[in-house]
Amino acid sequence: MAFSRTCDGVGRRDFLRAGVAGGAGLTLANYMQMAQADQLQKGAKAKSAIFINLNGGPSHMDTFDMKPDAPDEYRGEFSPIQTNVPGIYISEHLPKLAQVMDKFCILRGVSHSVAAHALGTEYVNCGNRPLPSLEFPGYGAVVSKELSGDPELPKFVAIPRSQQRPGYLGVRYAPMDTSATPAIGTPFRVRGMSLGSGLTVEDVEKRNNLLTKLDRTFGEFESENQLLDGLGQFGQQAHAMITSPKSREAFDISKESKEFAEPFGKSGLGASCLLGLRLVEAGVRFVTVTNGGWDTHRENWDALQTKQLPPLDEALSALFAGLEARGLLESTVVYVTGEFGRTPKINKERNGRDHYPRNMFMLMAGGGVKGGQVLGESDDKGAMPKNEGFSPDDVAASFYHALGINHEKEYNTTTGRPVMIVRNGNVIPGLFA
Amino acid sequence: MKVLGTFLAVLTLTGTIIADDAVLETAAKRFAPADVAETPDFQRHVVPLLGKLGCNGRACHGSFQGRGDFRLSLFGYDFDADHGELYGRVDPEVPANSLILQKPLMEIPHEGGQRLKAGSWQHQLLLNWVKADSPERPKDAAKLVKVDVTPAEVLFTADGQNVQLKAVAIWADGTREDITDLCRFTSNDDQIADITSGGYIEAATPGDTHVVVSYDAAVVAIPVIRPVSDKTGDDYPITATPTKVDELVVSKLKKLGVVQSGLSSDEEFLRRVSLDVTGALPTTQEIRDFVADNSSDKRAKKIDELLERPGYTAWWTTKLCDFTGNSDSQLNNVTPIRSEASKQWYEWIHARVEKNVAYDEIVEGLVMAVSRDPGETYQQYCENLSSTFHKDGEHLFADRTSMPHYWSRQNFQLMEDRVIGFAYTFLGVRIQCAQCHKHPFDQWTQDDFQGFQGFFTGVTGRNQNARPDSRKEYGEMLAKFETGDLKGNQLRNELGKQLKKGEVIPFGEVYSTPPAKVVERKQKNGRIQKVRKGGGKTATEARLLGQETMDISGYDDIREPLMAWLRSPENPLFAKAFVNRVWANYFNVGIVNPPDDMNLANPPSNAPLLQHLADGFIASNFDMKWLHREILNSQTYQLSWEPNPTNRLDERNFARAVPRRLPAEIAWDMVSQAISNDEKYAKFATSNDGRAVAIPGAGVRYQNDRTGASYALTIFGRSIRESNCDCDRSQEPSLLQTIFLRNDGQVLSMLDSKDGWLSQVAKENGISFQSKSPTQDDRANAARLGKSRQAALARVKSAEALLAKARKSKDENKIARATSALEKVQKQFKKFESPAATDSVESSAGKIVDIRKAIDDAYLRTLSRKPTESEAETAQEFVAESKDQLDGLRGVMWALLNTKEFIVNH
Repeated sequence: MAFSRTCDGVGRRDFLRAGVAGGAGLTLANYMQMAQADQLQKGAKAKSAIFINLNGGPSHMDTFDMKPDAPDEYRGEFSPIQTNVPGIYISEHLPKLAQVMDKFCILRGVSHSVAAHALGTEYVNCGNRPLPSLEFPGYGAVVSKELSGDPELPKFVAIPRSQQRPGYLGVRYAPMDTSATPAIGTPFRVRGMSLGSGLTVEDVEKRNNLLTKLDRTFGEFESENQLLDGLGQFGQQAHAMITSPKSREAFDISKESKEFAEPFGKSGLGASCLLGLRLVEAGVRFVTVTNGGWDTHRENWDALQTKQLPPLDEALSALFAGLEARGLLESTVVYVTGEFGRTPKINKERNGRDHYPRNMFMLMAGGGVKGGQVLGESDDKGAMPKNEGFSPDDVAASFYHALGINHEKEYNTTTGRPVMIVRNGNVIPGLFA
Repeated sequence: MKVLGTFLAVLTLTGTIIADDAVLETAAKRFAPADVAETPDFQRHVVPLLGKLGCNGRACHGSFQGRGDFRLSLFGYDFDADHGELYGRVDPEVPANSLILQKPLMEIPHEGGQRLKAGSWQHQLLLNWVKADSPERPKDAAKLVKVDVTPAEVLFTADGQNVQLKAVAIWADGTREDITDLCRFTSNDDQIADITSGGYIEAATPGDTHVVVSYDAAVVAIPVIRPVSDKTGDDYPITATPTKVDELVVSKLKKLGVVQSGLSSDEEFLRRVSLDVTGALPTTQEIRDFVADNSSDKRAKKIDELLERPGYTAWWTTKLCDFTGNSDSQLNNVTPIRSEASKQWYEWIHARVEKNVAYDEIVEGLVMAVSRDPGETYQQYCENLSSTFHKDGEHLFADRTSMPHYWSRQNFQLMEDRVIGFAYTFLGVRIQCAQCHKHPFDQWTQDDFQGFQGFFTGVTGRNQNARPDSRKEYGEMLAKFETGDLKGNQLRNELGKQLKKGEVIPFGEVYSTPPAKVVERKQKNGRIQKVRKGGGKTATEARLLGQETMDISGYDDIREPLMAWLRSPENPLFAKAFVNRVWANYFNVGIVNPPDDMNLANPPSNAPLLQHLADGFIASNFDMKWLHREILNSQTYQLSWEPNPTNRLDERNFARAVPRRLPAEIAWDMVSQAISNDEKYAKFATSNDGRAVAIPGAGVRYQNDRTGASYALTIFGRSIRESNCDCDRSQEPSLLQTIFLRNDGQVLSMLDSKDGWLSQVAKENGISFQSKSPTQDDRANAARLGKSRQAALARVKSAEALLAKARKSKDENKIARATSALEKVQKQFKKFESPAATDSVESSAGKIVDIRKAIDDAYLRTLSRKPTESEAETAQEFVAESKDQLDGLRGVMWALLNTKEFIVNH
């Protein structure tokens, strides 16, 4: 097999054999086994994860890090309410979440310095400050690489698509995009998983039989050639996935009972969270849910009150409660974040708040995370973390920790540079029970 | 075992000629006696020994953080720093109490474990160094000239054979020393040649590889060959070698006992060469004509013909955009209208590939780029450049002399990033290692890296302002637009609007600042003093790779000597880097592989072949089509994929065609083409319109391209053009790709597209066929509608905001007005809420006249061959058992698209 040289002198096994070596080369099959061998840290509780990306940058001051005593030009229009955990207050427009505060943890005083949407999003989706010369893999790509999966299910699903790119890990760790946001009460078609219109499983079986009969050109050579062997194996796995009732049912949220589905609400975010829960329950390792509309430069309070917060309140509270009801909360870590917070000082001209990465909030739940607590703190005006604060890197390290993945593990980039999964993060003390 | 070859596998660092002196015996022997008095040399013995013991490895003290507060330079070439670190850990009074001895001896706890045995030669060597007061490397120390390794090539023929390598260092002062015990040995493939740390190799499985010997700055690769069959030398079957390429390939195969496969069939050849050269499939007529043609030079003629097609231009423009890094996301804000920079980049290269402009001239246009054409005033520059954006403007960006966006990318602003990017693109070298430490597999040191960096210091690249001498004019032109305090994005957007209106706007520039000039200044006391003036950050001296530092203060543009060196016939890497990449395009692997990792430890699998192509390319004045012809007309390229027992496992010596997954753009284009009707199918030979190979940039925004290919291109691994690596493009298979081809709604609905093949078959046979699935044009319309819809939605949102404000004010009039405004825009928006698109297909159960013909046709359009009798029978049975014939053919086409034979070029 070929060794491609890396910068630090460690030989890296190439995926495709290029050498003339006889004997036992590294076949795709044992490569996949290697890649799937879970080398987990002991004590990790989470087996899967749901990452919820609030695109646009949700205002921290009006949601989870309220400053009722701040001056007028900072405070905002909303009032805090008491949660079911004494001493923890969140926005009055999050009443349902207030009732499940015991199930999740609020991180305040998370801070970075990237105020542009695309770069900020990239940052919080991989836990490494973006570099122009290197694309870091997102969480889902790393998890796909580190954890084994159910052969009938994709490991990494993005609803509807994700900013988490496979980066230097390569395309085989890319997410399967659903390409659409599901809606409660309507049949959901998933890119690649739903059968084509008018097709039944029997039709697909018949076509597959035809394919098997016709696809014999390379004959015995297939087993000796990694590419052909790999294509053959992927073909079988794809067929199993497409025809398996398991995968198709996992994607079909209409299979969920009305009582269970109702608390998720009617929003796309609610349906996405419900889908995420079903996928995780079926055995998908990593789900991202992307939800937009948080870039509230104008009419911040109106947008939050009428459009943004009610669905978030319903969807997240139902997700936490639903995961717990199904016995999945211990084994599923949930991470909710935007790319930054919003300016503590109100933009009077537009009655809104602008981009602000210096202080933001994030939420974590499940997977051993101790709920009912607030970690970190921001100053009186919500402008800076009090004390040291956290970085997105720290939260990333903690997220991986929950999944049993050592965030300091090194990969070699495609050009052979050794890079840690998270380069500058530390697991947040006190986050885990 | 026999030792082959008379050439010396040596690295020459300088041209010094060495007298044939006696060789000093190895340090292992000299330092073995307990009473040894010799003082070892820091550079020659101490540092290499630390490397050999593993002390300066990355897991240990070579780590950038060091270990236990003790840090050595990684792979040890920073003698001053290493000496400083070591010197702090010696005890000159009681040498044996030195930390650098006690730790590795484990006399005191050492996290790295025991590295030294008490009384060993290694121990005594280090001890003697301390005893002699730890001498450092003298400032005028002789340089290493080369390392001679014997044998220079190893040929094994049977199990159990072995060989001990011997390495001799030759220094510029004439010293020769056996350094077998001080150098590091590694194997490029331990399945073929396993080498011990002492340089002892044992024969393993058949094949060919290299073992690598590293010492000081030298890296020497020694080929190790064990033939895979007894068909070597004179026993090799008679093999025609019609071209020089074939001769050189077969010459290597003869050593290896690997026999070439037979010649490919006409159909196999035509499919392969069409996809490789133009990224499109041959038409059914073209296949028939080609097979029927009896002339002996028909393959050569076909190659010539394909090289003239637009697909060739688009594909090689795409490849050059890959190598040079045309990424929309890196070019953010470079032009006032988004995405234009990557389009201009693509167009500029496209125009030159189309005219077959010499490769070095294209490169010159990038390397020497400035925004302004020669002779242009700032005013003219702005007029001409504005015109390239104007609708029906008379200037084309492609006509401009150079392509400055190469310098404008975000990831090409830091000087070190420029060095890394440049070395990757034009030299095929991964020099980044040398940014922080000596390159472990090449001769490059940090000094080389820093010296080379000088050439990149003159260019201001971000295109955000005019050249300093034109800033006033810039301000004046800007003043006309009354942009007030607008800055950054807002200013750019405003200027973009003006540009779209047909105005001439002021542009920023990429420009080069000459180095400081020495001027004579008269001082008060009347003396003339020489001082440097101007120059900014531009370096006055720099060092070409592998050369001595040179004075560049006399150049107006310090890139001139860089470019001259690049294109000079003596440049060891420039031509090779390109011919190697072109070769890799046709053979799946480069002669050096990975193709962008040319280094001393990664030698070519066939050095004479690489040399021949590079020499020929230079002799042709960098004529890219010469190179393509030279490769494509070889028998080697035209071999069948069908293996024989000797070449089944060989994919780096070119004894058969290597099946390879088609690149993303071509895979997508090929799917689109295969299921199109005849008319659209044939257009792939004459136009790039709507094809994925015509998408200019990489990055997020290209994904909105109207081809609708973004998801497919992402999962099939189109180059992201981010990280200075050919591996930014991926040709590995993945599960998602397979799911996409089998079951993605996009592919399934394309099968039933109204300009598709099924629709055509239905029409020809008088069967009614209704497809509601969108054609490519429909999709483009949908994309346009999507934009209008977004705009309408935005109007709704702002009306909602106004209403909310009005409600707050509690002014009934205001509320009424805002409500009616909202209703109005909501109504407009509703128009876009079309019923969900269906892709249902209705076909009546008509009769297809000639089902066999249709099946043949399906095979020809996908696999470029007719079905075998048994395949045709299987397909016919399937059709017969389907609910109707058309549905049966749909199934056959689906199956063919999903065969390995389809998605793989072979």
